[in-house]
Amino acid sequence: MIRPTRTTGGVAALGLALAAVAILIESPAAALGAGSLGLFILWRAGRFDRDFRALATSLTVNREVGRTILRQGAAVTVRVRVDCTHPPGMEVRVRDIPPAVATGEAPLCRPGETGVYTIRIMAPGRTTFGGVTLSARDPYFSHDLRIRHLNAPGLRVFPVGSAMASGGTDSGMRDLEVDRRAALDGPSVRGFRLYRMGDDPGRIDWKISAKHNAFYVRELTGLQGGTPLVAVDLPTREENDSEVFTRYSMVVTDAVEEAIESRAGCSLLVIAGGEILRFLPGTEDVGEAFAALSGLAPIEPRVPLYRAPGPAVLAARARLPGGEGGLEKAFLARLGGVLTVFARESRSPFADAVKEALAWVDATEIHIYTLARGDVSHLGQLVRQAKTRGMRVVVFAPAGTPILPGVDAVEVI
Amino acid sequence: MEADQRFLILCGGEILAVAVGNLAVALILQILILAVFLDDRRGYPVFIAAAALYAAAVAISGHILLPLLALGVALGCGYLALTLYDYRLTLWAGGAT
Repeated sequence: MIRPTRTTGGVAALGLALAAVAILIESPAAALGAGSLGLFILWRAGRFDRDFRALATSLTVNREVGRTILRQGAAVTVRVRVDCTHPPGMEVRVRDIPPAVATGEAPLCRPGETGVYTIRIMAPGRTTFGGVTLSARDPYFSHDLRIRHLNAPGLRVFPVGSAMASGGTDSGMRDLEVDRRAALDGPSVRGFRLYRMGDDPGRIDWKISAKHNAFYVRELTGLQGGTPLVAVDLPTREENDSEVFTRYSMVVTDAVEEAIESRAGCSLLVIAGGEILRFLPGTEDVGEAFAALSGLAPIEPRVPLYRAPGPAVLAARARLPGGEGGLEKAFLARLGGVLTVFARESRSPFADAVKEALAWVDATEIHIYTLARGDVSHLGQLVRQAKTRGMRVVVFAPAGTPILPGVDAVEVI
Repeated sequence: MEADQRFLILCGGEILAVAVGNLAVALILQILILAVFLDDRRGYPVFIAAAALYAAAVAISGHILLPLLALGVALGCGYLALTLYDYRLTLWAGGAT
């Protein structure tokens, strides 16, 4: 909303004083003075509003970024020039808004000037600028407006160490972008075991294999607990807040990258309501994981679960304590029987699909990333299926999220 | 001229307009004083017309309180209209079509 300046406050105070005088001494001239000052303020406000609207709609932003594909943490120079039709008597300033996941602050510029500043993108993924803040003032009113849709160009940020970020000579990156790994970097060998079907042949230790005349593979540190399953819960479209979702997708991307780097792989499960959108079992390729995560956005819930607990929870509820008295015992036994029948009859395609996915990945730990808004019964079913398989469940959610039954640990994102 | 000086002139002019007592003279003084107060006088005739209408309302009604109350209502409506325009502008700025 437009804000009055000190001058307008003074005029309003003078108008009120005149109104008081007019009432006290019954002076028509004072009433006219009070009224005309009120009209004056209203007229000025209307004119400011009209000028500001003309200014905002005429605004064009030309933003040039050194690189639009860059590495996480890399500095990039932004040159921004704003042009507009400048209404007379109005002082105009524009400040560019860097992406939500960037550090750095843009200078305040006049229209026609080119502002140059440097930002550093701290999280991988796709991101855009936050728009511009248009500030205008005349002697009577001022207004700040954040124009979000002037946010081009989009930036693509690759995490440190990924194939794209450490690309070769023809990747278009500068020397700064090269993140060469040291020869001894990476997980060390924890032990050896016999080769099993499906093991990566690259992990076969040829010396040990030759010595024992059987294939032995290296087991790396960090793999003792198995590779984790990262489950990503997409929010529904009506709960969408683009900035929150951008941050959320950055956190997820970062977590997947970290899981692959530190534990030599992870599995990925993307769910939305009672629906599995994507499933990537046991990958060690960051690029493949990012490809699975690319293009994700809040969606319309297509398979709502209507807060159904799922067969696993029903089965757990059916296991009632025995009770003490004869009547109570009989009642609980009957109730347990009814619930057991319900649990047997109740089928949830989502729970079945999750069960199969969990059996496939053979993970001992599941990391569930969620914004935990609206109906979270699908998360309840996921947690229950994971617990049925004896997995450790860690939920990564915003602060204040209610803890689901069966969750072993909650971390705030 | 500094804003503070102009504001003092405005205060002095208002006192003069009240002291004169005559509604027509007060209206002319009001228009002149506020014209001095402005740098950019685009659309000033609109204000003059509104002030003249208000002066006519004060003269015809013969009351003090009634025109002031009517003006208060008009100002409230104007504020609501400006809020609505501002809301629409904020929606547009957010990317709504």
